[in-house]
This record gives sequence, C-alpha cells and structure tokens, in this order.
Amino acid sequence: MAGLPPTDDAYYRTAALVIEFRNVGKIYKSLLGNSVKAVEEFSLTVVDGEILGIAGPNGAGKTTLIAMMLGYLRPTTGAVEINGLPPRQYIERNGIGYLSELIAINPKWRAETALVRFATLAGISRSEIRQRVGYVIDLLGLDEHRNKKVKALSKGNLQRLGLAQAFLRDEQILVLDEPTHGLDPVWTQRFRDVVEELRRPDRTILIASHNLDELQRLADRVAIIDRGRLQRVVSTGYENTAPVAGTRYRVTLASGHEFIRAVFPQAEDAGRGEYDVTVRSIKDLNAALADLISRGALIASVVPERSVLEQQFREAVGESQ
Amino acid sequence: MSRVSSLARYSLWQFRDFVVERGVAILIIGCLYNYVLMAPLRGALASQIVPGRANPMWGIALQVASTVVSLSVLIAVNGIVSTDRKLGYYRFLFSKPVNPVLYYTQTFFVYMVGVLASMLVLSSLLRTILPTFSILNFLLYTALIYVAMGGIGFFLSVATHYDWLSLAVVWLGSRVLRSLYGPKNDWRSKLVELLPPVHKLDDVANTLIGTGTAHATDVLWLFGYGALFFALGLVALRWGSLAD
Repeated sequence: MAGLPPTDDAYYRTAALVIEFRNVGKIYKSLLGNSVKAVEEFSLTVVDGEILGIAGPNGAGKTTLIAMMLGYLRPTTGAVEINGLPPRQYIERNGIGYLSELIAINPKWRAETALVRFATLAGISRSEIRQRVGYVIDLLGLDEHRNKKVKALSKGNLQRLGLAQAFLRDEQILVLDEPTHGLDPVWTQRFRDVVEELRRPDRTILIASHNLDELQRLADRVAIIDRGRLQRVVSTGYENTAPVAGTRYRVTLASGHEFIRAVFPQAEDAGRGEYDVTVRSIKDLNAALADLISRGALIASVVPERSVLEQQFREAVGESQ
Repeated sequence: MSRVSSLARYSLWQFRDFVVERGVAILIIGCLYNYVLMAPLRGALASQIVPGRANPMWGIALQVASTVVSLSVLIAVNGIVSTDRKLGYYRFLFSKPVNPVLYYTQTFFVYMVGVLASMLVLSSLLRTILPTFSILNFLLYTALIYVAMGGIGFFLSVATHYDWLSLAVVWLGSRVLRSLYGPKNDWRSKLVELLPPVHKLDDVANTLIGTGTAHATDVLWLFGYGALFFALGLVALRWGSLAD
C-alpha cells in the first residue's frame, strides 16, 4: 500500500483540499409542513490523493450528503465546495466519476450504447470513444453483455455497467455509493483491485458503503455518520490505532495447543483448534504470540473479532443512539 | 473537446430517442386520426369536392390538423425533464461535464425538429387528399404551437412530475375559463387574461394554415407566452434541485 497519504491529522490540515463540507445541513419539508432533518452541521474536508469512506446505518444521510456534493440537492444551511467551486460549477467544467446507489439507466438502451452515450456527454472525442468504451467493458467484464438491453442485465451486471460509466474518463474525483452492492465475491475482489489501481496522488475517491470490511481495506479514513451527523472520522491504518482495551481475537493453532493457557490464561476454547483471547493492546498481543511461538506452537491465523473500524463504528453509532 | 460540441454531438442521440419514444406514436396517432375522420368524409362528400378552400373538407382538415399538432406537442414535451428526475436518470447524465440548462434546452429544440419532421410526413399525406393544403403554412403553425404550448409544458415538466396531466388541465382549463369569464367585463375577465392565450388558437390555425398570415398580436401573444414559460422553466432548472 505504498503511496498512501499519512494518517496523522497534521497531514490533513496541510494537504491540498479537494472537497469541503462546511457546516452543511439539509431539511426536507413535506407539503403538509412536516420536516425531517437529513443532515445536520456536517463539516469535513477531503484532500488530494485520499480515499475517504463514508459509513453509516440505513437512513444516516450518506446519500443525501453525496447528492449535495454533486449539486443535485441544495443544502438548507452551509456549503459544499469542490476545488473551491460550488459543486455544479465544478462538475459542469470537469465532470466527476459517479456511481449512484440506485443504478438508473434507461432500460431500453443496450449496455454498450449506454456507455457510448455517456462517453459522448463526458466529452470523449469521437475517435477515442470506441477505445475507451472497450477499455471499461474489458475492465468490468461486460463483453458478453455489451449488446444486451439494460433491462436484461442481472443486478450484478447492472452494477458493473454503473461502475463502467463512472470509470469512462480519467476523472480527478470518483464518488462511489455502495459500489459492491449486488456484486459476487469474485467481482467484489476485482473491484477492490480496480480501486487500488485507481489510487494516485492527484485523485480523490469517496466510497459510501455499509460494508465496513471493504472500507477498512480501501479507505485511508472513514467518516462515520449517523442521524445526519458526523460522529467521528477514523483512520484505518493500524500504525496510528490507539490500543483498544479488551480487544478479542480468534487464534487458530496448527499445533502446540498445550501452551495456549500458559500464554493466555483466559483463553476460551472455540473448538477445532481455535481459541478466543482478549488482549489490552496490539503490543500485548504480539508479545503473547511471540511467547507462544517460542514455546513451539504453530499459529495458523489471528483474526480480530471486530476490525478497528467496526469497533469504532459500533461505539459511534451506539453513542448517537 | 469543448463541452458545447460534445453536447451538440449528443443531439443525435436525443433525436433518436424522440423518434423511438415519441415520433412513432405521433405518426400513428396522426395517421389514425386523419384516416378515421377524413376517409369517410372523403367518400361522403365526393360529389361536392371542389378545389381550394371552398372544399367542404377544408374546414375539417383544419380542425384535424390543429388537433394533431396539439396532441403531438403534448406527446413531445411529456416528461421532457420530469422523466429523468422521476426515474433518476439525471444522476449519471449530470455527473458528466454537462450543464442541465443547456442539455434540456437542446432537448426541447431537438424535439421541436422531431415534431416538425412528423408534421411534414403527416401533412404530405394530407396533401394527397387536399392538394391545396400548404405544408409550409402548416409547419409554421406547428412551430408556433410547439413554442406556445411546449414552453408551458416544459415549465410544468420542471415544476411537477405530472406534466402531461397538468398541461392538459392548464390547456383545457384555460379554454373553459376564458369562454366562461372572458366576455364578462369584471375582475374575473381580467384574471383569465393571465391564462394561456388558447382562445387565439382557432383564429391563428385558420389564418396561418389557410393563408400563411395571421394577426401579429395573436402570434406574438402565443409565442411570447410560451417563450416566457420556457425561460421560467430554465430558471427553475438552474436554481432548483435536480433530486427530490
């Protein structure tokens, strides 16, 4: 993962700002006068080269935030800026790679035709369109579906078509809302590889997802939102992770089962050579594992019961409720 | 490549959309309407057919032609903006470097070309029955009604999701209210003056299709009213939200 932005706060204070949410709020009002606060006092900056995850439970306000970031909705309060410009102004000049949560493409269009249309609108020259469309079709494995009508595509293939149109141009900003929704495990992994390939110092990627494991793997930071408010921003790098007291891990031993209680007196036997252990910090965990190995045990795997992000997410969402 | 030229290239796709989704329907409805009304009359009035506007079929042809134009405009502008918003198509369209105001302005005029092309086909067919029927005059009338009625339809498509219904209500409601209150000389007659000038349509249809001329004030009223609402639609598009 070379080339990742550092995860310390100082970096984010000084790096080139790309997207800024300034005290953004959105209230939906019905004709009957009822109002719902979808987003409240949301402030966040996203910098060049960063992959920012946005996580939150259903109805947390993720999609509303993205709609305001794209200029599809106007904030009730505050402002969003992309490279110092109002969103619509930026997008109308430069475009943005965007995958929406709901893939809405005219069902009568054929997959390849849809991409040619989007490429035309994206300003790709006539001579390059075939090449570029061919590239994204190969990238997303849509070759056998290129002549199918959109309405004939399966959920997974439709999702891949949505991703293909987002990757048509070499955009500086990519916004992907639930990008792996409907994808099978093979294409979920392929998507992760594609995002890693897309990572570069002058490109900013936003990924909104329910899938915390995915965000843990891909994002540099994750903004956790709930009930329209930013609850916390979590760095996903382990190097800066403060020790979390009482973290549980599942340790699987290939041999040396007799040493486990000498090293982890409270280890719980989960069967099949697996043990659940609780440690105070990563340092303690490593020391204990070294001790175990030195006694002659063979460790097959060590898996946290919950990722750092998952723990933070549970705390953040739990706190807000 | 400039954004304007890529949008201009996209007009070919918009024209194709018009043909597939609207043009075919307009031609079928136009042909059926012409055939159902004109063919039996042609047989019945065969002995009275004389050249020119004295032909008793002329009045019926005018009525059929103006109704087909109104229906065609209704079909053409139905959902011109609201469908993209209702079905969420705007999300991918306008994440590209495209200005929605320019995009929908272009759509409006591409569809106008489509309606004119459809009317060219239909009026050519009508001319086989009525050789004195002027295709050019008919196309002028079509263009005027497209701006007058389509401009209001465009505004309603930006403002509401039920645009064809609201356009039909506005159009027919204006006719009814104007016929009820227009002649009275009170506050209601002044109020209905603000409604679309649909009462001028019959006169304009008669004169413009028949002779190629019309009262300039009537034409200006119709054109100005539609153009004003079209402009209001663009303003609403610029300053409103694309998402709900």
